[in-house]
Amino acid sequence: MAQTRPLSNATALRDESVLRRVRHLGSARAGLQEWRLQRRTALALIPLGLYFVASMLRFATSDQMTAAAWLASPVPALLTILFVLAALAHAVVGLRSVLVDYVHTPAALVAASLLVRGAAVLLAAASVLAVLKLFLGR
Amino acid sequence: MERPLSPFMFPKWYRFQLTSLLSILHRLTGIALALGSILLAWWLVAVAAGGQVFAATHAFITSPIGVLLLFGWSVAFFYHLCSGIRHLAWDAGYGFEIRNAYRSGYAVLAATVVLTVLAWLYVLLA
Repeated sequence: MAQTRPLSNATALRDESVLRRVRHLGSARAGLQEWRLQRRTALALIPLGLYFVASMLRFATSDQMTAAAWLASPVPALLTILFVLAALAHAVVGLRSVLVDYVHTPAALVAASLLVRGAAVLLAAASVLAVLKLFLGR
Repeated sequence: MERPLSPFMFPKWYRFQLTSLLSILHRLTGIALALGSILLAWWLVAVAAGGQVFAATHAFITSPIGVLLLFGWSVAFFYHLCSGIRHLAWDAGYGFEIRNAYRSGYAVLAATVVLTVLAWLYVLLA
């Protein structure tokens, strides 16, 4: 080890040539945002989930008038929208981590991920529209 | 030798453990709850639409299959909630000792049963 180089060139974190060699073997150095989103939505879903499930114990089997009156009031409308958005964001990250474990071909993984994301966007938009219609139409 | 391929390690390569069972259950209940979001969105749309759409949705939800699904999702929700709090504690660096991992595991199972029983007692008595 006669030749010493600056640390910035010798560390795996900064040396591009090392990154190129470890690609597909080590960390992708991406995914922290998803990890954070998963934990933040998890924290939000503790109160939001308890509120929504407790409400559903009362309203899931009630008649249309009762359910509509509940969803048209401000606090239930707001918390229901927040619950649906947080739950679907949480589900997208969670389902993707399952897909990454079980779907082994890149094309199938892309297709399955797009299907999950597309379904989540569709369900989120439909839920928000439904609640907004009741809230604005009261 | 046939090499073991993660995550297909049961039952040949890994001995059954409470901790791994709870980990798998966290995933399975998460998938079940994600599927439940379809019925949730459907129900919200039905309440907004009213009329025939709501009548059909209401009939499905109050049918034996509907009630069974609601019961299943309530168990899945309470389990995923309690187990998720256990995971958040691990993320924060707490409870990694094997003894504590087993204690929190049993606590999650007990809390799931208690919350599910309380929820359905409320439904039946209200």
